[in-house]
Amino acid sequence: MSEQNNSVADAALAALKALQKEIQETVLDTRESVDEYRIRFLSRKQGQVTALLKRIPEVAAEHRKQFGQEINAAKSLVESRIEQASSSFSGDATSGPELDFTLPGREVAEGSLHPITHALRLITKVFESYGFAVAEGPEAEDDWHNFSALNFPPDHPARDMQDTFFIEPPESDHGGILLRTHTSGVQIRVMENQKPPIRVIAPGRVYRNEAISYKSYCLFHQVEGLYVDEGVTMADLKQIIHAFARTLFGEDVKMRFRPSFFPFTEPSAEVDIWWKDDALPDGGRWMEIMGCGMVDPNVLEGVGIDSEKYTGYAFGMGIERIAMLRYGIDDIRILYENDIRFLEQFS
Amino acid sequence: MIISTNWLSDYVAHGLSTNELSDHLTMCGLEVESVEAVGTDLTGVVIGHVIESGQHPNADRLSVCRVDLGSEEPVQIVCGAPNVAAGQKVAVATVGTTLQLPSRDNPDERVPVTMKKAKIRGEESFGMICAQDELGLGSDHSGILVLDDSASIGQPFGDYLSAKGSAVSDNAIDIAITPNRPDSISHLGIARDIAALTRTHVTMPALTLPENGGAISDAVSVSIEAPEVCSRYVGMLVKGVTVAESPDWMQQRLIAIGLRPRNNIVDITNYVMYECGQPLHAFDYDKVGGSKIIVRQTSAESVFTTLDSKEHTLPSGTLMICDGDREVAIAGVMGGENSEVTDSTANVLIESAYFDPSTIRRTAKALGLQTDASYRFERGIDTEGQAWAAARAAQLMVEQAGGTLVGGMVDCHPVQHEVRSVSVRANRVNSIVGTEIESSEMVRLLEAIGFIVETTQVSPPVWKVTIPSWRPDVEREIDVIEEVARLFGFDNIPEPTHSKLPNFTPGTDGVRLLRERARDVLSGAGFRETYTNSMLSQEVAEKFNSSLLPGGRFKGEVVQTLNPITTEMATLRPSMLPGLLKVIGHNQNHGQASIRLFEFGRVHTKRHTDRTMVGDYTETETLVVAGAGKWNEQGWYGDAREADLFDLKGVVNLVLSACGLSKATYSEAQSDDLTASAIDVKIGKRWIGVIIQVASEVASAYSLRSPAFVAELDWNAIAEMADGGLRTRFQAVSRFPIVERDIAVVVKRAQPAGPMLAAIQRAGQPLLKEALVFDLYEGEHVADDEKSIAFGLRFGADRTLRDKDVDKAVNKVLGALKHQFEARLR
Repeated sequence: MSEQNNSVADAALAALKALQKEIQETVLDTRESVDEYRIRFLSRKQGQVTALLKRIPEVAAEHRKQFGQEINAAKSLVESRIEQASSSFSGDATSGPELDFTLPGREVAEGSLHPITHALRLITKVFESYGFAVAEGPEAEDDWHNFSALNFPPDHPARDMQDTFFIEPPESDHGGILLRTHTSGVQIRVMENQKPPIRVIAPGRVYRNEAISYKSYCLFHQVEGLYVDEGVTMADLKQIIHAFARTLFGEDVKMRFRPSFFPFTEPSAEVDIWWKDDALPDGGRWMEIMGCGMVDPNVLEGVGIDSEKYTGYAFGMGIERIAMLRYGIDDIRILYENDIRFLEQFS
Repeated sequence: MIISTNWLSDYVAHGLSTNELSDHLTMCGLEVESVEAVGTDLTGVVIGHVIESGQHPNADRLSVCRVDLGSEEPVQIVCGAPNVAAGQKVAVATVGTTLQLPSRDNPDERVPVTMKKAKIRGEESFGMICAQDELGLGSDHSGILVLDDSASIGQPFGDYLSAKGSAVSDNAIDIAITPNRPDSISHLGIARDIAALTRTHVTMPALTLPENGGAISDAVSVSIEAPEVCSRYVGMLVKGVTVAESPDWMQQRLIAIGLRPRNNIVDITNYVMYECGQPLHAFDYDKVGGSKIIVRQTSAESVFTTLDSKEHTLPSGTLMICDGDREVAIAGVMGGENSEVTDSTANVLIESAYFDPSTIRRTAKALGLQTDASYRFERGIDTEGQAWAAARAAQLMVEQAGGTLVGGMVDCHPVQHEVRSVSVRANRVNSIVGTEIESSEMVRLLEAIGFIVETTQVSPPVWKVTIPSWRPDVEREIDVIEEVARLFGFDNIPEPTHSKLPNFTPGTDGVRLLRERARDVLSGAGFRETYTNSMLSQEVAEKFNSSLLPGGRFKGEVVQTLNPITTEMATLRPSMLPGLLKVIGHNQNHGQASIRLFEFGRVHTKRHTDRTMVGDYTETETLVVAGAGKWNEQGWYGDAREADLFDLKGVVNLVLSACGLSKATYSEAQSDDLTASAIDVKIGKRWIGVIIQVASEVASAYSLRSPAFVAELDWNAIAEMADGGLRTRFQAVSRFPIVERDIAVVVKRAQPAGPMLAAIQRAGQPLLKEALVFDLYEGEHVADDEKSIAFGLRFGADRTLRDKDVDKAVNKVLGALKHQFEARLR
């Protein structure tokens, strides 16, 4: 280790120490001051940091690494101060030297899912977690899958329960084609192709030939469910529907099953939940959320399932109805108007 | 159907409040839709005895009365009626009573008024002596209502009225009747369920059933020529009636259930129908030609005028009631004008028949004529109820219209309905319902609604259950099980604490899961999801049945409905485009400058294809994505930018890569009158959709304020090709640095960039990892017929690349560009 090298290093280090303070403290409030700053420290010919960098080889080998690191750190500091100061001048030339953090962030377009999709996903998620598969089927359906296989006799008033859009009359080659009035036809298609146990939900768009008003539209969406296995009972049905209602409407939901009629289930029930509303004299009212029941033996036999060995339950609900209840929407038509001021509420 | 609670109480002493009654009804399957109080609530109105009546000291027209209300001290009441006098029995509204009084401004309107202790011209008054109109009993306001001697002092006035068979306070309960419960479309039918639920019994009106034959045989003959659709026809004859208004009590009941009273004869037929469910018809006997009734089906189309004076064209085969000369009624639907009861009718022929449900339903449908009668016949009435109903109507006509019964009845009964019974296993009931109901309880419940249960096996119990004639819907064991469950109460079925689940395999891909993925990607990318109507006018549907679009590519016809609500919604959409354009127009019209939308839905076409599931129809799921107006808003950081075709192209790429499809190719398509420009999207050779700019004529037809760019993709095709993640395989990430090189080349202006990019990618292999277009330039320093395209190239390998490796690859790329596109380095 030579004396000379040591003194070179000491001098260089001392120079660097002196510079570091200036590098840190020089005020950079104008473009000019930044330019001056850059020239003073980094210019190839006169820059003070550049000059020190050139002196690295003069420093004794054992100090060189440390010296190199320090001088490079000084250089990085100069560069980052220049960059920071410059960026505050970019954009509006009239803006001040400081960043205005109150400016709004750069806009990122916000999208949204339709409330029907939100409701459908919620319903699907609940039943998938209970081990239901999901099946879909055609909207233009034949009479067999929409009515006959579901135990709707021809010329029976039960057919009046669902006002139907027809595409081909019953006397046509295909025995009548119509826009499905429910997704129950999908259940028939599943049972035609699969042996029990069957545990499936069928979501989809359905059609009703009804005058359009705040409470009915010519189409809506349904989720229907089906479980066929040995030993399935109405008590099992109550249990799963109650679990579903708790997920959607809260752990303390009040629910009732009341007898009803659907051709494809027997016994049949409609499910009401107690909807709290302090404005009403009773503090609320019963709101129907779905229909359900035990699959009628005729339906099982019609698709070749032994109704003595197997029993099953089925349920079905309107997705719009669930969405309207959850979001407090009082007019079904607004769901199909697609006004962005409506849609953006469901991001 | 609306029932009256007063009326129902005639048949069952249920002891329930109206609220409890409606709960019982709903929970046994007779859903109550509404409960409405009808008439005037007379609580607080009691019968008083006027002890004294004297002139009011300060008012000529007022009297001051002392009235005994049956309590300790008589009260003083000031009365303005001219007819008040000592000794009268009157109805007094006591202090605190609320009456619906005629409004002073409009006597037809009623307003609630609560009686208070008052001083009238200096004299104290405790209540009001009421006039007829103030009690809701009529319109008379000439003086107070003076009661007869049967009134007892202090008695509630309502009780006095009921004792006289008239009641003004009633509740109308509207019940939604399901198609499987024809037995419940009457007060007696509902009374049966309520009696069963309250463990009491039904009281039928006292009645003597006449024998078949008798005096009437000489006056009327009935023959049924169509016994397969009319199994029974009962006729009874009442002579010498006086057609007039019905008594008040009957009018009140009919009004309460929403019927308009007409005259005593017609009212009785309606009353009995709502009492027991059997529709009746009353003919003017003197207009029935040849004293004959013939039931037959028409053999040709004919015209008939019903009693509402409307002409109907009857299809051939319509079941008709005829006399000796002509048709007099459409069986089960409505009577004819030619034989109806009028004010001058003296002799009435009562018809009580059983008609086949399907036949009546077809006729009612064909004529667009649903009546109270057809509603009941088509659901199936009590097969054994005809004689009782006819006799009940005859009894009432004798009592209320002053008629004389012609003895006996004509009972033409060519087909006997068999008494049905089914075998029911007690264990099966519990295994379907999931309960442990005792078999004795099951028997009790069934017997309570008229089923007869006989044991055929003791253990485990099996029964022969005989079905009552009013339950045509019960045919099988499961139907009986439902009755047990219904009466046991669904709410009493216990919920199990555990459930067993069959094994199942959750899906991993397919149309639906990819759809959900695309929904997330698109909403994350700033698009809003819409749901639009699937139905369009035929004109719009045909316009958008374009072979450029996924639906129209099948080259089928549009799918029309046979019975649309309006012509605006007569046809199923062949494309999602018109729905989206309408939404864009709506939103631009409401001030939205920046529009990005998407929707998933089915489009329809009439053509048999490999996707056909039903008939000759093809349904395709498509994804439509639309952008219009500002893509970026003006901000402090930059300028606004309008949406263009490349925005859509970028979004389509995003969706496809989210589905694991990264190799889409885009090529210009021949545009048509819907499109200003169109780009076909393909994966390999398979067409999967199109990106278009909507033609300006189309945009203006939808009142769009900016150009609209739309992609419609065949989601079924995408789903078939997509990788649901199952085929994704990890590839080692290179640990060596990437080398970037930029090249700018000059080519002819007309040269598209796409093929050049493809050529670069081929020529740069294996080192070239990525290539993109980063600049396009035309103008100074470039010849007029040329342009400069700048490509950014990124090279990499599983080693540190040396300059000469990269130079070699770049040269290969340049060579390919030069060779294929006459490109030269700029």
